[in-house]
Amino acid sequence: MDGTQTTNESETDIWSEAGTTRVPFQIYQNPDIYAQELERIFYGSSWNYVGLECEVPEAGDFRRNFIGEREVLMIRKDDGALSVVENRCAHRGAQLCQALSGNTGSAIMCPYHQWTYTLDGELTGMPFKRGINGKGGLNSDFDMKAHGLVNLRVESLNGVVFASFDQNVAPLKDYLGPDMVKYFTRIFDGRGLRVVGYERQVIDCNWKLQMENLKDPYHAGILHLFLISFGLFRLDQESKCLVDDSKGHSVLMTAKGTEEGKEDTGGVRIAAPDFALTDHDLIQPRLEFGDNITLSIQTLFPSIIIQAQCNTLATRQVIPKGSGSHELVWTFFGYEDDDDEMKYLRLRQANLMGSAGYVTLDDAEALEFSQVGFTGSPEGEAAVLEIGGTDCESNDHLVTESLIRGFYMRYRDIMGYGEAGT
Amino acid sequence: MDHQAEMNQPVTDDVLLRRIERLQLSYISSIDDGPLDSWPQFFTDKCLYTVLSRDNYDRGMELGVMRFESVGMLVDRATATQHAAVFAPRVIRHVLGPALVDDTGEGYRSRCNVVIYQTSPDGDTVLLMAATYDDLIVEQEGVLKFKEKRVIYDTHRIPDSIVYPL
Ligand code: FES
Ligand SMILES: [Fe+2]
Repeated sequence: MDGTQTTNESETDIWSEAGTTRVPFQIYQNPDIYAQELERIFYGSSWNYVGLECEVPEAGDFRRNFIGEREVLMIRKDDGALSVVENRCAHRGAQLCQALSGNTGSAIMCPYHQWTYTLDGELTGMPFKRGINGKGGLNSDFDMKAHGLVNLRVESLNGVVFASFDQNVAPLKDYLGPDMVKYFTRIFDGRGLRVVGYERQVIDCNWKLQMENLKDPYHAGILHLFLISFGLFRLDQESKCLVDDSKGHSVLMTAKGTEEGKEDTGGVRIAAPDFALTDHDLIQPRLEFGDNITLSIQTLFPSIIIQAQCNTLATRQVIPKGSGSHELVWTFFGYEDDDDEMKYLRLRQANLMGSAGYVTLDDAEALEFSQVGFTGSPEGEAAVLEIGGTDCESNDHLVTESLIRGFYMRYRDIMGYGEAGT
Repeated sequence: MDHQAEMNQPVTDDVLLRRIERLQLSYISSIDDGPLDSWPQFFTDKCLYTVLSRDNYDRGMELGVMRFESVGMLVDRATATQHAAVFAPRVIRHVLGPALVDDTGEGYRSRCNVVIYQTSPDGDTVLLMAATYDDLIVEQEGVLKFKEKRVIYDTHRIPDSIVYPL
């Protein structure tokens, strides 16, 4: 993608077969491949979610986050603009801020030897710079300018902040493309946002399995007995699966489901028929986006998911933690102009989602089953992705793995793993 | 909070304290040893059961990983957990610390530390969370029940998922 990768022979061996209907199990467990992913994807020419602007309203406010395994700080500057710097001191590498969020004042000071930086990461001073009585300290030719914090490219789109380690990365809107911007701005429509709360969980599987799961409408009407039982999701619902031109991003949407006809479940076993839900508010979404879509899941390459299930809105950030684990950070949000009823619905319907969610706990479990299942599999063994054919095109149905195949087209391209072809 | 603390009278009646302790121990047993169907009976019909991180709580955010406001909603959770969820089998074990109990006039506020362990089918035990129970207990027809139970957990980076109520 960025033209700097050269494909060497051993990398072709990792994924020799054309297309993406076979995904080698070793890309989920090989530590060398994981190290390459960090370099080429997370620290390469990608835009990575770092938070919401409303999390840092005042000058000096910061929020700590990860891009790949590197820690970054999203900071509100005095002029109201945002900066994102690596949370690593240029002196001897100490972590600068330990709290998840807070206010750093008008400067960032390292706790170890108190080297001090502007909110943009420029080094401004340190104790005993000239030593004591002319002894010690820094040589006079020490170049302060060359020892700032790593300063990332930052862009914000309607209150959502992204950063990139690549100073020459394409503008965010170009990176997302017009189709993805359209659905992104359906939810992030420019209204002020407010954080409803956070959830964090560590799921012991490779980060890509989490992304696959949100690009996999096929599982949703099968695994999630809760959704099936109450007509919140059915594979025959009016739906749309959209893959962007780069193939790496996607959005899947379904329209309002009904409880009628839940016997027609395509052979999926369902819960006891006398299992009726007491809390109907949970499955009675209030339409709020001027359409009848009650579930939309947008996945942006490499690792952020934007979810609107009924009235629970959340970003789900996937943070890789080694080849066999990742952290999932949920930022539940609403709008500043939410009325009291909507505020209440967002809290209540959050029962569906998150680390104890009626729906998502199935996912975390199934993903761990996958990681355990293929651990130690012989080289050459691969996942089979042929539901809905072999292409990576958009669809008007849900029985497809084309979004996942698309993700791996983009992945192979960036990683330089052979010719993905079509 | 301070205002409330002034109104609170420490409960010193040993019999009452024993009854409250028995309520807590019976409650955790319904989760640890089952049957889970008996879990909702420890609450009043209208109630507040919420499990939220200390991170959210300290930020003044009410979002919980679970939030139920009636026995009906608790029954939904118990039923769904047993019949409409897919997860690897596990055993949950609560360990409670002693409780500080105050009479607030509206009921008994009971606060205690709790640690919860989780054991996988392979036999590995992990600490699921370190938490506190912040409860409001009332007496109804001679039976003590939870009118409110807030499980506020410090371990806000949860290992895997929270399957069972806590
Ligand atoms: S490591 Fe930061 S000042 Fe020394
Ligand atoms: Fe799912």
